Amino acid sequence: MEREHFLIGTMGLDQHENGAVSVRGILEEAQMRVTYAGRFNTPETISHKAREAGVDVIGISCHSWEYIDMIPELLERLKEDDLNLPVVIGGSVITASDAKKMKELGVSAIFNGSPSDDEIIDTLRDLARQKRSAETQN
Amino acid sequence: MSQMKSRSGIELKDFFQRADGTDEKPGEFPYTRGRRAKTSGTWIQRELSGEGPPSRSNEQFRYLIEHGSNGLDVIGDAATVAGIDPDHPIAQISCGTQGVALCRKQDVVELFKNIPLDQVSISCSLNPLSTVACVALAAKEYGFPLEKLRGSIIQAPLYAESCCYATNLPTDYRIKMTLDTIEYATKHMPKYHSYIEDTYFFSESGIDGVEEMALGFLQIRFLTRKLIERGLDIDSFAPRIAILVNCSMDFFEEIAKIRATRRIFANMMRDEFGAKDPRSHGVVVTSHTSGLSLTAQQPVNNIIRGSIQAMALALGGVQAMEVSAFDEAFRTPSPESHMIGLRTQQIVALESKAAQVADPLGGSHYVEYLTDQMEERIVNRVHQLEAMGDADELEKRGVFEQIFQDAMAKQQRDVSKGHEPLVGVNCHTIPEEEDTLLRDVAERKITPYHAFVEEIVEWKKARDMDKVRDSLKRFAETIEEDQNVVEATQNCLNEGVTFGELKGTARQVFGLEYDSYGMVEPILEKVA
Repeated sequence: MEREHFLIGTMGLDQHENGAVSVRGILEEAQMRVTYAGRFNTPETISHKAREAGVDVIGISCHSWEYIDMIPELLERLKEDDLNLPVVIGGSVITASDAKKMKELGVSAIFNGSPSDDEIIDTLRDLARQKRSAETQN
Repeated sequence: MSQMKSRSGIELKDFFQRADGTDEKPGEFPYTRGRRAKTSGTWIQRELSGEGPPSRSNEQFRYLIEHGSNGLDVIGDAATVAGIDPDHPIAQISCGTQGVALCRKQDVVELFKNIPLDQVSISCSLNPLSTVACVALAAKEYGFPLEKLRGSIIQAPLYAESCCYATNLPTDYRIKMTLDTIEYATKHMPKYHSYIEDTYFFSESGIDGVEEMALGFLQIRFLTRKLIERGLDIDSFAPRIAILVNCSMDFFEEIAKIRATRRIFANMMRDEFGAKDPRSHGVVVTSHTSGLSLTAQQPVNNIIRGSIQAMALALGGVQAMEVSAFDEAFRTPSPESHMIGLRTQQIVALESKAAQVADPLGGSHYVEYLTDQMEERIVNRVHQLEAMGDADELEKRGVFEQIFQDAMAKQQRDVSKGHEPLVGVNCHTIPEEEDTLLRDVAERKITPYHAFVEEIVEWKKARDMDKVRDSLKRFAETIEEDQNVVEATQNCLNEGVTFGELKGTARQVFGLEYDSYGMVEPILEKVA
């Protein structure tokens, strides 16, 4: 089976990249495939990069409150672009109450505490497998 | 003045050395032990500030000054740092939430209203052209002579794009902005540190202290050579170079790093660059305590981390300090964390008296050993990097970006695998529901300032566009002719041009699209 494939990056103008780069490293060390989207993405660029790369899951690292506007816009954009991809977000700025709202909007998983590497790997791998299995069934 | 005494009445001197007096004294070349033989016992105390529109940030500044701050570290919001105006489609959702939103002359004037610019030291986390424009235009407006201004200009042309201060401007233009502003400030703002080598921001990637200072010295050496090539005398600008270092939790290594930094700088300036003025040898070192060492878990623990780091800096003998806010993992500093940061500094200075004697750890076998080791390793690493090519070429090849990204990944691995203990994160953790102390303060959000965006939109419509275009055209010509661009920048701001438009036009001169997002139309169709 082809390795699980993830798009990892940040969105908006916030320039803190430590989280995204760390997650990329964790996934690559676990022999998963990562396309790194880098900084300064918009919903459009993330959707475009996800389609181009053919990823299974999108992971966005959040270090500013921009995510509160940008993640719903991203989910909307993915729908418009007919991309049925799980979106995962992570970052210390995501409060428990905001995490709940994001879940309700359709975000598949949220890391806002101090998840272990295994938790990150297992969650993302499960989401990738679920996505592939849903595609096979369709 | 009365004799300094310890609590038990033991008489103290300005500094101590071996009984035979043969070892290095503070205030003597190579300044390992500090720039002065006698310390003031304190330093310039500042905290990171800037939030919302300029008027709100001005309130923050006055709050800090009222509570004892004698310096300001002004941070722009994400758009302002990137050189993007608040009305840009991508900037509106974050206007003023991570710093002050600025783009016009009147913003700068409002920002510094009623601030004694001849007494308070101003540092801005903005590109150097914007920093000089901010302080110079505000000073002119309020009648402060430029020669009386105090503060520092962050110069980071080699590293800004890779770590948090990206502007999407080409390397050659970033270097030009640096050289032009140093040249301008050397001539017109003699009390200003025209060049502060900020190793803080890029070391937040997680690189160690040797790499931090090696990259810092690499850039100092690169820019010094460029300034000499321009015809500047080394002794005209070297006294106004300062170094802003990080301070992690490795207490003794950080003290040694500061001591080694002073020694390396002194030897380098005298022996390699031929500086003769002693003021060119003794470098001012300032520091921020490490934001990277702070955690989202149990934010109150960050106050303790800040205190330990502040103590290291006091013992290392820094000239200015900023304590990173305990709510750093969540937001720019809240009023509560501003107060705690300042009080941390005041308690260390006034109550602990850690800095009343110059270089109190000088002569410690351990600290001297670490200092020698740091010096040797930093110098070796600088030579290794210089052997790889010219520093600007290394930047263009992505060498530095790779160093920073490798460090980010390694730092996280070290924490997650428990190689580095981090209390509350990988050891001594508590359940999330019990982690409540100060969390309400840390998680309080700043709402985007949409009214300010609207104000900018309306103001832009009402400008005299002929003046805007004419001054921008002159600005573009100045870059093309490789003339100093500082006064042309100020002229543009006087005529109603914004920071975003200056940046976009500079990009056009270098053959790039006006707006890196392709969302905003240029002011000038053609610049050539």
